[in-house]
Amino acid sequence: MAKNKAAVLKAPKVTWKQDFRRNWPVYCMFIPAVVFMIVLHFIPMFGIVMAFQNFSISKGYFGSEFVGLKNFVDLFTGDQFPIALRNTICIALLKNTLGFIPPIIFALLLSMIENKRFKRICQTMSYLPNFVAAVVVASLVQEFLDQDGPLTMLLTNVFGLENQNWLANNHIPIFWIIYILMGVWQGIGWGSIMYVAAISTVSGDLHEAAAIDGANRWQRLTKITLPCIMPTIMMMFVLGVGLSFSTGYDSIILLYMPSTYNVADTVYTYTYRTAFGAATNYSLSAASGLFQSVVGTVLLIGSNWISRKTTESSLF
Amino acid sequence: MSVISRKKKVRTPAEEETSLNMVEHKSVVDHIADVIIYVIVALIAFVCVIPMWHVLMISLSDGRAAMAYEGLAWKWIGNFNLGGYELIFQDSSIISGYANTLIYTIGATAIGFILSAVTGYALSRETKLKTPVSLILMATMLFSGGMVPTYMVIKALGWVGTRWALLIPGCTNAMFMIMMMNAFNSVPKEMYEAARIDGAGHLRTMWQVMLPQAMNLGFVIILNSVVGQWNSWLPASIYVTNKKDLWPLQLWIRQITADSENFLRSSNPDYNRYLIEYAVIVAATLPILLAFPFFQNKLEKGVIAGGVKG
Repeated sequence: MAKNKAAVLKAPKVTWKQDFRRNWPVYCMFIPAVVFMIVLHFIPMFGIVMAFQNFSISKGYFGSEFVGLKNFVDLFTGDQFPIALRNTICIALLKNTLGFIPPIIFALLLSMIENKRFKRICQTMSYLPNFVAAVVVASLVQEFLDQDGPLTMLLTNVFGLENQNWLANNHIPIFWIIYILMGVWQGIGWGSIMYVAAISTVSGDLHEAAAIDGANRWQRLTKITLPCIMPTIMMMFVLGVGLSFSTGYDSIILLYMPSTYNVADTVYTYTYRTAFGAATNYSLSAASGLFQSVVGTVLLIGSNWISRKTTESSLF
Repeated sequence: MSVISRKKKVRTPAEEETSLNMVEHKSVVDHIADVIIYVIVALIAFVCVIPMWHVLMISLSDGRAAMAYEGLAWKWIGNFNLGGYELIFQDSSIISGYANTLIYTIGATAIGFILSAVTGYALSRETKLKTPVSLILMATMLFSGGMVPTYMVIKALGWVGTRWALLIPGCTNAMFMIMMMNAFNSVPKEMYEAARIDGAGHLRTMWQVMLPQAMNLGFVIILNSVVGQWNSWLPASIYVTNKKDLWPLQLWIRQITADSENFLRSSNPDYNRYLIEYAVIVAATLPILLAFPFFQNKLEKGVIAGGVKG
């Protein structure tokens, strides 16, 4: 006890110099990571001044003319960015509703399967799409939804929809639904892992007691399992919302085409295209990227805060 | 993507097994419900693999017949034919794509793992630098400079158009470092103290004593990194667009998919060329898909422990 107290009292007294003398090898071990983070993550953060400049590569950060918020005015009054923003919001909303539920349902269904081997095989199969590369997934989507693709055939022959290349359809909300369903296909198995783990923590005694009292399966599902995994669901939902604005749009670059920009363009793809596409405008791209980073960070911090308030678990 | 603290303990499968069934007397309705559930789950699992099956079967088909075929390929169309694979293994660009992907995957994973292990170890020691460095890491997780400013930095480093752009910037991230810190923190303190008393330096203690104990989580990081690097395409499309000899396999797939029907323009088309797109997808995806089931348990644990998205 006395020893502990001494330690507590001693701790604040260590100066940087003493600490360094004692632990200098550890200090050295920090160097690579700190250099890595500063060069590749922090300097770019300062590089966003170009969003407020009329940036040209030849003049650099210090020579380019400072134009204040002009780039942002250009963004929001232009004809492409507002549409990209609308698409991003709509896709994010769909992702957090339509795209959020399937893994939960899949996990609940899995939990009701008693045959262990069958359950394991199904899980393994459902995980596979998560390991397929984005490029391959995109070409699968193109292949299946092409004019003579298997899915198009199914939609035409069974549901009587017009035969077409569905990816070239630029009517709302065809592309959004394709994109969400692609995400569901990729993530239904992998996304269910958290829920399966949560369901396995639900006490079996509760189920037994309820079964003795005559609760049927549906009642046990809605009155026991669901409430028990609600914290996990809430947490995943809140984190999903936090990440939904800034991550997961890169595969749109592989799927969209100029004729579908009006439904498929998002802030992310707009940023990419304006920087590395045919008509390059670095300042505009940096402004759009900054807008995305800021909204993404605000969403992440906000949703994390809500998560901590409501479910006691949080990202950081 | 999170370090989630969970209080409840995960029940082992054995416990799960004994929990139900004891008091349950299944009615007819229950049995019908059972059948429906089995069918739905099987259907979902089936839908998850069938697109890959389709591609595999087309890649083994007769080129001309496959081109004319519409709908899902349950088995190869026409005669069994390995012509597509012969073509891709004669194609020097695809071979070099394969080699590049291997270089990027192994290189970036190795560099990234060493960096995260060293940093994770340093973070798990009690020094005054711990808090400031954690804050730096946290900041990079929350906010990013964005695509263009990052591109400018890498351009200034002279890495655009070189392998370095694909080996270094994406090799690790703050989350992997924090996961390694947790891994080292979970090693019993006595191990560390014993090694230090025996006179081992920090590097030696970390590498020979602590790391073997921390490898459970370390392995998860390596697996995630390998899958991520193997499947990555965006950095390559930004940094080495004009250098085709540096392209990873994924960019070649993208290219081949884009001009898959160009071969028809020649007067005497080789229909096996239609199969290239499919063969190359199989060649790029099969290694990962075949290896994955062996690591399934580890990867699953990684998701539960760290919420890592693969």
